[in-house]
Amino acid sequence: MKSFVLKLFAVMLFSLSLHASDAHTTGAHADATTTSSTHKEETYQAQSLGEMTVSFLKSTGVYAIMSPDPDEMNAHGEPMSDFHKSWGRVLMIFITFFLFYLAIAKGYEPLLLLPIAFGGLLANIPVANIAGAHGFLGVIYNMGLSNEMFPIIIFMGVGAMTDFGPLLSNPKTALLGGAAQFGIFGTLVGAVALSQYTDMFDFTLQQAAAISIIGGADGPTSIFIATKLAPELLGAIAVASYSYMALVPIIQPPIMRALTTDDERKIKMTTLRHVSRLEKLVFPVMVLTLAIMVLPDSTPLIGAFMFGNFLKESGVVERLSDTLQNALINIVTIFLGLGVGSKLAADQFLVIDTLAILVLGLTAFSVGTAAGVIMAKIMNMFPGTKVNPLIGSAGVSAVPMAARVSNKVGMEYDRSNMLLMHAMGPNVAGVIGSAVAAGVMISIFG
Amino acid sequence: MEVNFIYEGFKIMLLGMGTVFSFLVVMIIMMNIMSKVVHRFFPEPNDVANTTSPAMDNNAKKVAAITAAIIHHRSSK
Repeated sequence: MKSFVLKLFAVMLFSLSLHASDAHTTGAHADATTTSSTHKEETYQAQSLGEMTVSFLKSTGVYAIMSPDPDEMNAHGEPMSDFHKSWGRVLMIFITFFLFYLAIAKGYEPLLLLPIAFGGLLANIPVANIAGAHGFLGVIYNMGLSNEMFPIIIFMGVGAMTDFGPLLSNPKTALLGGAAQFGIFGTLVGAVALSQYTDMFDFTLQQAAAISIIGGADGPTSIFIATKLAPELLGAIAVASYSYMALVPIIQPPIMRALTTDDERKIKMTTLRHVSRLEKLVFPVMVLTLAIMVLPDSTPLIGAFMFGNFLKESGVVERLSDTLQNALINIVTIFLGLGVGSKLAADQFLVIDTLAILVLGLTAFSVGTAAGVIMAKIMNMFPGTKVNPLIGSAGVSAVPMAARVSNKVGMEYDRSNMLLMHAMGPNVAGVIGSAVAAGVMISIFG
Repeated sequence: MEVNFIYEGFKIMLLGMGTVFSFLVVMIIMMNIMSKVVHRFFPEPNDVANTTSPAMDNNAKKVAAITAAIIHHRSSK
């Protein structure tokens, strides 16, 4: 027993001495660092209080805006004009204040518009360079936007929130979701024509494709394509896309009314049949299989979407599906918004292209809405159950806002006509349709 | 040689809309087949469940009565 205690002591002593030698070496390190810091101190020159104050004043935001630093580079390390360094920033800060107003007072997609606008505010601060490669907005951008990860995660969450029941019970309404994608491709031609016939704009085919995806009315898809094909236009495209999605209740109804007759708006649709759980479970895998066979380029989007939906419909991973729908999508929305906001820096947003993007985006949206309504009218020419053309407008994605608009307009003409669930079919088909359209763009330009 | 970009745009439009529509049409056909197969071979026991639920209620009531009787019997010992 005694000898054991002695051994134990010996071991403890040994380990202690080891520690001591460790401590000694780290002490030597500390010595080295202190010597190097004294070296640094030698380069620091004593300043009078006046000089200090002057150099401090030169580092203030007011000074940076009044007399821009000629050596300052933008987030990509390229030179930028004096306007973009000074009053452009002030103007952008006021634009972000306006976006705050739209998000808070008007309730325009506040969940995304607020983080985007605040990110824009932070990105336009002089001196601090928050949107630069080492600022935190730049880090967020490189973490999940430049590699297209955030939109994909958002898509998983959207998938977990989507119910394909209405589509499964009336499959042919999927055609409406396809027709609405005409907005995307029609605008592509428009954007190309604009740069061909005017000297003001000069969009490449890639840029035109990225802009026209706004017509898909699907935020994550727009961001996904924009970061892939035209990252320099990301800020304007994202802002346009989310603003128009918020403006769905204002943009769509006039188009819907203009294209339909009174009788068509009063068409009642038969009640939806019950969809079994197995159908809902098979559907995501079926669509993904189809995408694998036809268009593998669309599988990042469709795969993520169907993954979320499959988790939800499986019914055995309640926790995971709940996280996708709530916690994860909320966290990623914050990062996505701030990352997109970093692209609202004056030198990237205050360009003439932004104006064209806003106009083209609106065109894409309106053309998509019109194409959906017209498609419903074409479907009514064929024998079979009639479709109320008002649900055609829901073919642009914008889930579930567009479906609600269809319902609301329908109710204006017939109080008892509930179109909401019927409109959800083309609505979710529109998400698939725009993902397929995005896949086509990637397969052509990617 | 100058490329006519508008012409390119129209080609992309044709290809894109064609792909979107053929994708959705195939999807619709597959959905219809799938729902037929599911209803044929894996019908949901919905109607059955509706008819059995009152019976289940009855059973539950019986179980409750028996349990109460047992508890009463044990406590009265």
